Amino acid sequence: MVSAKSSTPDEQLVEASLAGDDHAFAELTLRHKSRVFGVAARFARDAAELEDICQEVFIQAYFKLRQYRRDSPFEHWVLRITTHKCYDYLRKRRRNPVAVSVDSLLESGHEPSAPAPPAPHSDLERLHAALAQLSPKERLVITLLGLEERSVQEIAGLTGWSAANVKVRAFRARAALRRLMEDQK
Amino acid sequence: MNDPNQDGRLDALLALARANRLDTSAAEFAFETRLLARLLAREETGSIWAMVSWRLLPFFAVCVVALTIWHSQVVTETNEAEQMAYVENPGPLDSWNNLN
Repeated sequence: MVSAKSSTPDEQLVEASLAGDDHAFAELTLRHKSRVFGVAARFARDAAELEDICQEVFIQAYFKLRQYRRDSPFEHWVLRITTHKCYDYLRKRRRNPVAVSVDSLLESGHEPSAPAPPAPHSDLERLHAALAQLSPKERLVITLLGLEERSVQEIAGLTGWSAANVKVRAFRARAALRRLMEDQK
Repeated sequence: MNDPNQDGRLDALLALARANRLDTSAAEFAFETRLLARLLAREETGSIWAMVSWRLLPFFAVCVVALTIWHSQVVTETNEAEQMAYVENPGPLDSWNNLN
């Protein structure tokens, strides 16, 4: 069923999903999950959190599908939800801090479900440790700008902040990151 | 002021982190199946509650009617008891009137 829908445009799949066709929504998920996982993995601490974020993104997309206006591609809409979910997770984590990011787990050769690795040694591990200490807004903006290579305008669209606000936050986030990296030496 | 060397080092590190994109293929495996299962479970839970609520509606209606009847009976009995008590033991005003 999914293969027959593989050439159908996103807009038609959205219409079909709204009409109650869950397989059409499954096809939309199949198409866009890689991008969502890619962004969410920059923020998630482990595989369980990554799965949670991605499930919440698509569950919200499913229940708010009627709010999707066809003025931008479906992928942009889903990525906007992803950005907001990641930000929510960063804020939650701020209140309940533990462990490290998935990136550093994988880079150190651990499986996502394995226990936390030892203290950071390589430059990359230091970078991830410093990123983890940034405020949620700083972490979000530096990740989208520096790691996801999004433009200021794109970040403004994803977060709902003004372009000027994104620039100011990015500048402050870079300064904070540099300071944290210096402190680790 | 920003040290250009530090900026360059940070940019290089960010580029390195960017290049080391995490392989999420294992986590993505059968994701849509798990998602649909969760969505279906949510919908079923919702529909079960809705069904139970609608089925219990006559029961709640009977309860409301029974409570209303019981309440009106209790009120009537209380009024009758108060009237009887009044007739048997008239209040101080009536005693005063009788004296006059």
